[in-house]
Amino acid sequence: MIIELDNVELYFNDKRVLNGVYLKLETGKVVGLLGRNGSGKSCLLQILFGALQPKYKLIRIDGQAIQKPLYYLKIISYLPQLHFTPNHLKIKTLFYLLQLDWEDFTNHFENFSTYYHMKLNNLSGGERRVIETYAVLKQKGKIVLLDEPFSNIAPLYIEKIKSLITSEKSQKAILITDHYYKDVIDICDTLYLLNNGCTKQIKHSKELETYNYLNVDTI
Amino acid sequence: MIHRLEAIVLFYKPYFLWSMAVTILIIIFSPYILTCITTKLLLTIFIWYYTNETSSKRKLVFYKNLGISTRELFLAVFLIDTLISITVLLIIKAFI
Repeated sequence: MIIELDNVELYFNDKRVLNGVYLKLETGKVVGLLGRNGSGKSCLLQILFGALQPKYKLIRIDGQAIQKPLYYLKIISYLPQLHFTPNHLKIKTLFYLLQLDWEDFTNHFENFSTYYHMKLNNLSGGERRVIETYAVLKQKGKIVLLDEPFSNIAPLYIEKIKSLITSEKSQKAILITDHYYKDVIDICDTLYLLNNGCTKQIKHSKELETYNYLNVDTI
Repeated sequence: MIHRLEAIVLFYKPYFLWSMAVTILIIIFSPYILTCITTKLLLTIFIWYYTNETSSKRKLVFYKNLGISTRELFLAVFLIDTLISITVLLIIKAFI
């Protein structure tokens, strides 16, 4: 499956946020999206998911234009920047509703094995983030959008999430954005930089310095 | 399908008691089905507005991940709420 997002124009009042965006996702590949704060990364993910309506956009799947929001077609799952699961939900209910396998989860994250009957708002922010990231990654949809999956979580969990992403990518097209750029670069097959409302494909990490995303000699 | 329905009920749960309190007021002051439907419609619009204007809005992503649009979610909440309220109204009217 090839998913293309093209001709995106997004305005907030008169402020142009996105203009001339092109992104290509592909099953079996992880696409990384980097950009400064406020560059429109999260908006772009929301547009692809279907939760945000821009002025213009064109989404193609295998060359065919799609009009309906992708979430409506149940082919996509999205991890937003902030917690999205209902606060008073029990973890076991979450796993039931999203049809997830608790045993598989605890095989990856042994420390969580006693949490099954707990409510999500009784977990720490990082622990909740781990569960939400796992839940989104394991959904049946063929497209996965991850907005800052590495933020606020322990390095040990970052490594586990990275290995989960790598194992899931064989059946899915994954788009990931995070300020932990080293982790993003580490796992992505294609890298884009969102700069001045446009996407630029990055072929070499040094280009990130050219576009002033990183300080010179950071890499 | 059943999981989606259960998710909608989960969304409705925190509003259930408030809605029942409104139903009791309807029974006391104007025990008619039309009043009940109109009030519940206004109540659903209020919940939709409240959700959109507060941080609760981002929780709608959870339902979208299950393939439930915001419109579908609130329509389903309205139908469930109205159905429960009319049932309660008719049962109580039968005993009065």
